[in-house]
This record gives sequence, structure tokens and C-alpha cells, in this order.
Amino acid sequence: MNLTINGQAVQTDTPADMPLLWVLRDQLKLTGTKFGCGVAACGACTVLVDGQAVRSCVTLASHLLGKNIRTIESLGSAEQPHALQQAWIAEQVPQCGYCQSGMLMAAAALLERNPKPSDADIDAAMTNICRCGTYQRVRAAIHRAAGATQTALQPSPRQGVTA
Amino acid sequence: MKRRTWILSALGATGALVVGWGVMPPRSRLGKPAAMLPTQGEVALNGWIKIAQDGSVVLAMARSEMGQGVHTALAMLVAEELDVPLARVRLEQAGSDAIYGNVSMLLGSLPFHPLESEGGTKPAKVKVGEWVVSKLARELGINATGGSSSVADGWQPLRMAAATARASLIGAAAAQWKVPASEITVTAGRVQHASGPSAHYGELAPAAAASTPANVVPKDRKDWKLIGTAAPRSDLMAKVNGSAGFGLDVRLPDMLFAAVRMSPMLGGSVGSIDSKAALALPGVQQVVALDAAHGSSAGFAVVGQTTWHARQGAQAVVAQWQPRAQGALDTKAIAASLQSQLDRESGFTFFDQGDIEAAEKSAAKVLEASYTAPYLAHATMEPMNCTAQVKNGAVEIWAPTQIPSSARAAAAKAAGVDPDQVTVHVTLLGGGFGRRLEVDFVAQAVKVAMATAGKPVQLSWSREEDMGHDFYRPMHAARLKATVDAQGQVQSLRIKSAGDAISPRWMERAVPLLAGPVDMPDKTTSEGLFDLPYGFAHQQMAHVATNMGVPVGFWRSVGHSHNAFFSESFIDELAAATQKDPLEFRRSLLQAAPRYLAVLNLAASKAQWGSALPAGRARGIALHESFGSIVAEVAEVSLEGGMPRVHRVVCAIDCGTVVNPGIVAQQMEGAVVMGLTAALWGKIDIEGGVVQQSNFTNYPMLQLAHAPVVETHVITSERTPGGVGEPGLPPIAPAVSNALFALSGKRHRSLPLVA
Repeated sequence: MNLTINGQAVQTDTPADMPLLWVLRDQLKLTGTKFGCGVAACGACTVLVDGQAVRSCVTLASHLLGKNIRTIESLGSAEQPHALQQAWIAEQVPQCGYCQSGMLMAAAALLERNPKPSDADIDAAMTNICRCGTYQRVRAAIHRAAGATQTALQPSPRQGVTA
Repeated sequence: MKRRTWILSALGATGALVVGWGVMPPRSRLGKPAAMLPTQGEVALNGWIKIAQDGSVVLAMARSEMGQGVHTALAMLVAEELDVPLARVRLEQAGSDAIYGNVSMLLGSLPFHPLESEGGTKPAKVKVGEWVVSKLARELGINATGGSSSVADGWQPLRMAAATARASLIGAAAAQWKVPASEITVTAGRVQHASGPSAHYGELAPAAAASTPANVVPKDRKDWKLIGTAAPRSDLMAKVNGSAGFGLDVRLPDMLFAAVRMSPMLGGSVGSIDSKAALALPGVQQVVALDAAHGSSAGFAVVGQTTWHARQGAQAVVAQWQPRAQGALDTKAIAASLQSQLDRESGFTFFDQGDIEAAEKSAAKVLEASYTAPYLAHATMEPMNCTAQVKNGAVEIWAPTQIPSSARAAAAKAAGVDPDQVTVHVTLLGGGFGRRLEVDFVAQAVKVAMATAGKPVQLSWSREEDMGHDFYRPMHAARLKATVDAQGQVQSLRIKSAGDAISPRWMERAVPLLAGPVDMPDKTTSEGLFDLPYGFAHQQMAHVATNMGVPVGFWRSVGHSHNAFFSESFIDELAAATQKDPLEFRRSLLQAAPRYLAVLNLAASKAQWGSALPAGRARGIALHESFGSIVAEVAEVSLEGGMPRVHRVVCAIDCGTVVNPGIVAQQMEGAVVMGLTAALWGKIDIEGGVVQQSNFTNYPMLQLAHAPVVETHVITSERTPGGVGEPGLPPIAPAVSNALFALSGKRHRSLPLVA
């Protein structure tokens, strides 16, 4: 199967009915994207497909041929964090951190289509579950990043794909 | 058995040990350098601190990071004493030496009333109890993260270890430079003397290792630069760029993946399994039977190329399950049984003051209420998992665990090897909340790894297995009775509660060393009921400990999580029944509990208690002590289409000396959200032995759109640190319920609030 992940063409030995989540995590070792529920209820597995937030635990990889898949590994790096990642740290958002990749990717999709979201926009877009209760800091961080976002987000190439 | 009798008999039983300990030299927790892992170029100065060649500090980290910020908070203690920037402290997982055992967590199991220790001196029985338990904890060396105890436990040993390391480094510099140690200063890890010479710690460490100074005293609090500041957490960059390593993120060469299916009936067993269809699937390699162990239900694991292949295989196995031998579990039957046991049994009396019988006989008015709380699942975001490799008689595990010492023992037992043959790697935990104080998933992973010919295997649970095979917060019920005299004053409070005792079951599963032939009274059953701060003249609190057969475990704030709902809702009922404002009523009962009163007043003033609110909103208040900290919360609530909506929660906390107020605020916010989720919707039902909830679709979670704004206000204190991870949780359910009463006049006496 030929996929485009974080700007890189990747070839995998993936069955047609395998969700993208397991291609990322178990075949490509891109473990930043998390398993939480398997039924698209929690959002821990959120990635971007052509800029849209998608729950990868129920999205078959075989349906994504030719599409641009982006994972948390491409959002930014420790050296050059994305505006959202900077805002996340400034607001001290994560606790256990497990759901945060999905939160960040959902937020990235939101800002790509709506650079200055209102509280109501954030409420509607951010349906990810966080057991640590980081929600209000997530809200604050999105507003903070929205203030700092000048240009459309660009995927950074070749982040972390090891397959 | 009354409480006093029990303590005396417990002391008697440990008498021989006490005598034995009495003649032993005092054991500090400084530890020997050999306790730390030797690494090329690093010099260990004691059991906690190594100095790297570049002058950075390596701290032996004995506590698990599950979101509570403990890796940052404990590193702050060390950075403070060594005068290095926080970023210069690196963490290395602590080994298995007994110095890393958590003494404070076990101290928290003592059933003493917190008000007894409020003054300057503790009563003799408290001192003796704490002495015995401390000794026991030091000998056992149980390395565990729980009971909101990490900072309290590390407070003395870590500051002492760092201060001692600093003193030996300065001593080395003084000897080298031939100047008095008292003239040497340290700034940001740079050691210097006014006459010119300077060095970093890495240059001094080899010489410093030659001596360990005695009688070192940690810094005076007036000299603190880092403790008490909202230093940014050190684990966040990895948590925002996807590189943080949770248990499920372990990736090893040639690693296989395993999926688990356990008997859907709790406590059931495997009748027969037909693996043919599963093994015929591509990428599926083998099926491994799993016995019930460490509290789990029996089942099997399927090994495959990826988690997905393994899970496909697990679903394809045709399994016939056998029901639990003692009969199918059922929550409705358990609820009825709790009530009948409350009718019949008198229970164990945890607190008895005044003359409750006389007070009830002479009462002008009697108020009674019956409360209940359901079973709950932990539902950590990262489901249970463990990675294991068994090769050449050695076992290596990578586990998101709150209790590495028990994980080691469980792995050794599963593999039939000596614990010395087990290497434990503690990963980050995607939530813990007490679920990861269990070791069922560790034993399973090792059993599977024994069947994979030396290849490492990552065993993980689906969300459905995780929710269906938890160690649940037990169902509890309580009957509360108060009397009012002719002047309208509440004179007495009697509480009798019933529900499973967690501690003895947990010891059997996870720490068999502590498990006894009979159940000792378990403080967690009655905490939050027997230990109230209110000055009623006559009080009696008893608990009927049950053992219903449902696996029960520690759930964030444990007994407090339901008992605060019982007690603080009933206090609100008493205020209403005596026509008093809920805040004023509590104030009038806290004259002998000034610390509680200060917390209550802070929350009330920050929430503008008594000021006008928009139409359709009301406030509720609750006050509760747990894990050495006192929290008051004021919730602002409305009803939207009949459903409670919590808009704002104002918290005040006295957690003693604050190490990092930023982390305190995070924990209060998190506890409020978790407690609110449970209060509104949380319940686990069991029918025919099968847990009815299976995923977030039918065990719903609060989401961002409905998360309240949480404000945290911290009391300034010089007491030793109390807990922070759990104390924010207990007050939220009663605060919200009390607000709903203020709003609608309807009193909720059972959880969840939205039935």
C-alpha cells in the first residue's frame, strides 16, 4: 500500500481492512498517534487527512491512497514547535499527555479552516476526551495560538517515519 | 471490635517486630551510591543523586508520572537543594533498593482523626502508630505511587539527599582550593570562591564521592528560589510532539503484539476455546491461555504481527465461558444486600465521641437520610498494557505501572524465576487513578512472552476489555442520622455505611506480603465519614465491610470519592433543616478547626458567596479533608433542559507547603473534571456477571464544551506538604448536588446525579 504520511511517500504491507491507526503505530512505529477506544469516541487517534481531522482508529488506510496524511510527528519539533505546541506549553496543558496528540491535531484542523475560532467554535470542534481534565487549558491554548497564527500551517517533511 | 482495641491488638501483634526494630540502628533513606545504576562517567553520591561529567544532576526517580506532575515536583526539591536550574536535573528510574519504598502512602492507611494531629504535638497513640507503620514501610520498601503521597514522602529524603550531595561537592572544592567551605557559593550549578577558583559539579564529583557528610540540614525556606514557584513542567515538550513514551509506545526489534479476551462474566473461567479460525487469519501466530491471576478473570491472548492482527484473531476465537463458581454477580442484588447488611450489622466503629445514644433519646427532632454511590471504572485513556521479553531465564518488562515492586514480583511469579532475574522499565502512564496499582496485566504479558520463543511481546487490552475487567470503585451505601435540640442546634451525628473493603483485596492481589488471614478494618471504607471536622458534641461512625466478589480497587480519592458526597450533602441537609445558610452553618461548626475554616472562607470569598447570580443559577459549597489536604469548592450550576450544567468551580486548598502552585492548579482542575464526570453520569452496572458498560459510548465522559471554568486559590502554609492529586475530587459531587438543591429544592441522595 502506498501512502503519503507527513509529506513522505511510504510503502507498507497493509491489509485492505486495517485502520490507519495500526499502520501508523505498529507498522511505521509512529507512536505519537494513540489508541483510546477503537470506536471514534475519544479522539486520541486524531490525524489530519487533507487538512481534515480524522479518527484513524476507524478509518481504513486503503481509503486514503493519494491523500495527504499528517500525524503529530509532523506538527513541529522540539527545536521548532508549532504555534499550537508553543501555546500548549505556555498554558501548561498536558497532564498525563496521552490524549494530547489527538487534541493538538484536532486543534490544528480547526485553525486551518478557522484561524480565529470563537469559544463556540472550539466547543463544537474539540470533542476529544481527556481523563485528566485539561479542557479549559486546551481552550486557552487554542485562543493563544490563534492570536499567534499568521500563515497557514505547512506540513514539515520527513518527520519520524521509520518504516 | 472498637477502634482502640484494634490498635492495641495490632500493636501487640507487631510487638516482636517492634522489639527487633528497637535494637536496630536507625536507617536513613539516604542510601548507598551502589543503589543507583552505574553509568560511565557519572558519579553516585548517595542512593538518589548522581553527578554527570557535564555537571548535570541525575535523580533516581522512584515515582510514576501519570499526569500529576511528580517528575517535575520531585526534581524541583533536588534542584533547589543543589542550586542547579531545574533543566539540569535528569531522571533515571530508581532501582529496587528499599529506600525507594513509599513510607507516606502506608502512613495514610492509619485510621486517626486528622483533627487529633492539628495542634503542635500529636497524641501518643498517633505517634506510636506512625512509628510502627513507618518502620514496617521502611522494611518492606514498597515502591508505589498512590495515595497522593509522593511529595510528602520525598520531602525529607530527597532534600536531604540533595543537600548532602551539595555538602560533599562543596567539601571537595574546599579541600582542593584550600578555602573554608563556608566561603564557597553555588550559583546555577557553578561552585566558586571569591578568591577566584570555580568549577562545575562534574569536576568535583569524583573527589566528593570520597565522603558523605553527616548532619546536613536542608535549606531554610526563606532561602528557597524554586520551591513554591510555578516552574513549567519538564515533561511537556515530549507530550506535545508525540515523542513521550507511554507503555503502548514501546517498540523493540522483532516485537510481537498480543490481544486479550477474558471471561465476560467477572470471575468466570474458560470452558473451551476453538482457535482454528483465528489461527487461519493472516498475521495471527498463536493463542495463549491465561489463568486468573492477581484478581483478573481467566481468558486467553492472541499473538499477531500487529495489535490489529492480534485483535482480529482474538475476535475469531470461538470461546465457551464458564460462569463464576460462586454465582453471577449483579449490582441490583448487591445494592439490596448492602441495605440488608445495614439493617442487620453494627459494623466496625471508626469514631465514637460523646454519648450518641443519650443525644438521640433527648432530641427534639431527628433527621435521617440514606445515600448510595455506584461502582465506577477508572477508564484511563491508555488501556492496560505491558510489554515483556523472556529470554535465557531473564525477564524484562516495560510497564505503565504505579507499583514497580509488585510488578517485578508478579513477573517473577509468572515466569517462575527469582525477582532478581526481572528488569522493570517504568514507562510514562496514560493515566493511573489507582488502576495501575494492580499487576494483572503484567502477569499476563509475561505469560504470553514465555510462549514467544524469546521475542518481546506487547500485550494490550481493548477499551472493552479495560472497562469490563477493571478493579472498580466499590458501591457504597450510608445511613446518616442527626439530632436537633429544642434551640435548633444540631447535637449529634451518627453514620453507618456499608460497602466492600478494598485494601485487603488489593493486598491479596498485589502485595501478598501484607495480606492477612482475616481482614483488618480498612480505613478507606470510612474515610470521609469518621474524620469530619465539624464540632457535633456526639458522633459515632461505623462501617460494615462487605466482600461482594466484584473486583474492587483504589479509584482516585478512594473512599473519600463517595463518602464526601454522603457527608457533605447531609451537612447541607442539616443546614436547610435548621434554616441556616450552608456556609454559615459550616462556619458555626468549625470553631475548633481553624485550618478548615480558613479554607472554607477563602473559597466562599473568592466565589462571592451570597452575591447575586444570573437567573437560573445557584451555588453549592462543600468542604473536605483528604490525603492531608483540605479543599473547599463552590460550584455554580444551572439546569439546561433539565440537565445540570456546571459553569464555574472555585477551589481553595490548604495542602501545606506548596512545591509548585501551577501543578496544584492543574490537579484541582483535573480532579474537578474527573469528579464531575463521575457525579453526573458515572456508574458501572453488572448483570449476570457481565459489566454492561463497554466504552465511552455508554460510559460517557465530560467534554470540553461542558467543562467548567475552575479557579484554584492556595492557602499559604509552612506545614509539611500534603497530597494534591486526589483532594480536589471529593468535594465536587456534593458541591454540585448542593447547588442543585439550592436551585430546585430537589435533594439528590444517590449518584450519579443524572440517572
